[in-house]
Amino acid sequence: MGKVLQLLQHPDELKAFVQFKCFRKSLHPFEPTEARSSLKRCDDLLNLTSRSFAAVIKELHPKTRVAVMVFYLVLRALDTVEDDMTLQHDVKIPLLRQFHTKLNTTDYSFNGSGPNEKDREVLVQFPEILAEYHRLDSEFQDVIKEITDKMGNGMADYILDDNFNTNGVATVKDYDLYCHYVAGLVGEGLTKIMAHANFINESLNQDNYQKSESMGLFLQKTNIIRDYQEDMQDGRSFWPQEIWLKYTNSLASFHKDQSEKSQEQALYCISELVLNAMNHINDVLVYLANVNDPSCFSFCAIPQVMAVATLATVYNNPDVTHKVVKIRKGTTVKLILESRTYPGVVRIFRHYIRIINHKSRVNDPNYLQIGLKCGELEQLCESLYPTPGAIPAGANPHKLEINETVANRQEIDEKIEAMIKEEEFKTQLLLVSLGLLLALLSYLAFTFFN
Amino acid sequence: MNSFSRRSPNTKIHVFDVRPLPEKISKYFTFDPKSVTFHGGDITSEDDLSDAIKGSKCDVIVHSASPMHGAPQQIYNKVNVEGTRTLISAAKKQNVKALVYTSSAGVIFNGQDVMNADESWPYPEVHMDGYNETKAIAETEVLECNDIDGLATVCLRPAGIFGPGDRQLIPGLRGVLKMKQTKFQVGDNNNLFDWTYVGNVADAHVLAAQKILSSSTRSQVAGEVFLITNDQPTYFWTLARTVWKADGHVDNYNIVLPRTIALGIGYISELVASILKKEAGLTPFRVKVACAHRYHNILKAKEVLGYKPEVSIDEGIRYTLDWMDESRN
Repeated sequence: MGKVLQLLQHPDELKAFVQFKCFRKSLHPFEPTEARSSLKRCDDLLNLTSRSFAAVIKELHPKTRVAVMVFYLVLRALDTVEDDMTLQHDVKIPLLRQFHTKLNTTDYSFNGSGPNEKDREVLVQFPEILAEYHRLDSEFQDVIKEITDKMGNGMADYILDDNFNTNGVATVKDYDLYCHYVAGLVGEGLTKIMAHANFINESLNQDNYQKSESMGLFLQKTNIIRDYQEDMQDGRSFWPQEIWLKYTNSLASFHKDQSEKSQEQALYCISELVLNAMNHINDVLVYLANVNDPSCFSFCAIPQVMAVATLATVYNNPDVTHKVVKIRKGTTVKLILESRTYPGVVRIFRHYIRIINHKSRVNDPNYLQIGLKCGELEQLCESLYPTPGAIPAGANPHKLEINETVANRQEIDEKIEAMIKEEEFKTQLLLVSLGLLLALLSYLAFTFFN
Repeated sequence: MNSFSRRSPNTKIHVFDVRPLPEKISKYFTFDPKSVTFHGGDITSEDDLSDAIKGSKCDVIVHSASPMHGAPQQIYNKVNVEGTRTLISAAKKQNVKALVYTSSAGVIFNGQDVMNADESWPYPEVHMDGYNETKAIAETEVLECNDIDGLATVCLRPAGIFGPGDRQLIPGLRGVLKMKQTKFQVGDNNNLFDWTYVGNVADAHVLAAQKILSSSTRSQVAGEVFLITNDQPTYFWTLARTVWKADGHVDNYNIVLPRTIALGIGYISELVASILKKEAGLTPFRVKVACAHRYHNILKAKEVLGYKPEVSIDEGIRYTLDWMDESRN
C-alpha cells in the first residue's frame, strides 16, 4: 500500500511504472524454456542470487549474454567462499587462491559452505556453470579465468591482512585498491568481454583499464557510503581512515553518538566521501560514450545512473548514520527507462549533479570543492550536449576527442529514442483512456444513483 | 612583473606607466623592484612610447594598460583604442619583435549567457558596454597588424580576474557582507562563472611572450587569441559564500529571489534611486550579471601555450583576502 501511495505522489514515476510494465521492449528477449539444461540451470542460479542483475544480464545481446552470466556466477561463487565465516582459513585461503584452476575441470563442486550462505547452491551446482563455461569462446574463458585468479588472490590477501581486519581501510590509496579488487576487476573483465564481442570502441581496451576501473569504483564507493550503518552493525566499515579521521576519532561514533555535533561531523565526512566518488564521474561518462551495442549500454549504464542518484540521496543526508537510505522504486524504474540512450544518461547525471550542488551547505569544509567538482562535470555535460541556443551563429567550437565518439554513436541512440517515443505514446494513450473510462464510470454511477 | 621574474629570471623588465611604481610592494610580490626600470609616460603619446622602447631596447611588449570599469566612455576610447593604436605604431617603427595584448573575455559578452565558449565565438553585435566594445576594437587592431616577420601579435582574454591588487570582485563581495545583504540569492545558482587568479593570468602572459619570441613556436601563437581562466567554472553564489565564509560569516538560511522578480525590483529601485539621487543597491545590471552563465573552454591555451593555472580558486581567495587585510593595516 505504501508503494502505491508513493507512486501517486510522484505521477511521473507512476507513468514510468506503467511504461515499464506494459510497453518496454526488451532488445533481446531470453527464453529459458527453450534453452539447454545447463543454461536453464544457470538461469535459475542467476535468479536465485540476484534479482536486479538477473534482469539486465538476460537482456544482453546473445553474443555476450552467456559469457556475462557465467562471469557473474563464477564471481558469485568466489564471493560465497570469501564471505563464509564457517570456513577455516586453511580451507578458505587455498580455495580462493586456486579457484580459477577449478575452471579447468568439468565437474568441480563444493558442498562445504555454511548452511546460512544464501548462495551456497552456486557452488553445489558449479558443474552446470562449468558446462556453460566450456562452451564459450576461448577468449571469454581466458578473461573469466584471469579475473577470477586476480580477485581470488586479492580476497585472500585481505583476509590475511591483520591490519585491515582490525583497523579497516587506512588511506585513500588503500580504499582505491580495495575497491579495485572487489569492483574494478569486474569492470576490467566486462570490458574485455564486450571488446571481444566488438560492442565497444577499442579505446576502452587500451587505456590500461583506467576508465573501466572508474566504472567499478564509482559503484563500489557509492555503496560503501550508503551501507555505513549496515556495515557498522556487521562490525566492519570501508570508509578510509585518512578521510574520517578529519571528522572523528572513532568511526563508530557517527552511529553511536547521535548528538548534533557528532552528526554534523558525520555529514562533513560523507561530503568528502561523496566528493571522492565524484572524481570517477568524468571517466564513467567517457566510458559509456564508447559502449555501442544498446543492450550492453543499458547493462553498463543502469548501475551508474542508480549510483549517481544514490550519491545525491546520501549527500548531506543525516539518515545515513542510522538508517538504510535507498532511492525509491519508482525512481529506479524511471532511471532504467531513461538510461537507454547516451543523451538520456548525460541528462540524468546533469540532473543529479545539480541536486548535489543545491544540497551543499556553506558550513561544510568541502563546500567549495563540491561546487567546483559539480561545475567541472556540468562543463563536461555542456561540451557533450550544448544547451540549445548556447552556441552563437558563426561559432565552431573546438572538438574534444569525446565529441567525435558521441557524434559516431548518434545513429544508435536515435533508433532507441524512436522506440522510447513509441512506448511513451502508448503509455499516454493507455493512461488517458483509463482516465476517460474512470470519468465515464463515475458519471454513470452518479446518474444511476440519482 | 612577478611572473616574469619567477618564470624567466634573466628577462630584463621595463615598466611604462602614467603612475610611478608604488614605494612599498605587498609581500605577495617577490620580485625585486630595483631590477625593474621605470619609464613614465602617456600611452597616447607616441613620443613617450618611442622613448621608452628606445631606452629599453625591448624584444616584446606586454600591453595591459586599461582603465577601471566604470570610467567615462572617452577614457575607454582614449586608452583602449587610441593608446593601443599609438603603441602599435611606435612598436612597428622601432622594430619590436612582438606584442602581447591583454584583452578581456568580456569582448564576447553581451549580457546573455556565455556557456562553455571558446575562441571561435564571434563578437556580439551589441557589446555589453563601452569598456568591452573598446577592448574588442583594440583587440581586432592588434590582431590585424600581426606580422610574423615584423611585429608579431597575440591577444589574451582573461575572465574575471581577482587576486592581490583586485579592486572589484572580492572587495565587491566584501561590500555586500558589510551591507549585511548576504542572505539574498538572486537566481537559481545553476549559473557558472569563470574567476581567474591574477598570478595565473600573468603566467599566461609570460608563456605567450616566450612562445611568440621563440622561432619554433612563433607561428603557432602569432595572430591568435587565447581565453585564459582558472579552468574551474564556479557557481556564482558558491563563490560569493566561500568568500564570506573565509571572513567568518555563514548564513543559516537564504532568501532566493527568482531572476524575473529580482529584475523587477531592480528596475524599481533604480528608478527610486534616481529620484532620490542615490546609488541603487540592486540594479538590473547586477541582477543580470549574477544570473548569467559566463564560463569558457580554455583547451586552446592549454594545448598551444602550455598554460596550466597554478593557483587554485580557493588559494586565490585566501591570498586576496590576506592581501586586503595587509593593505588595510
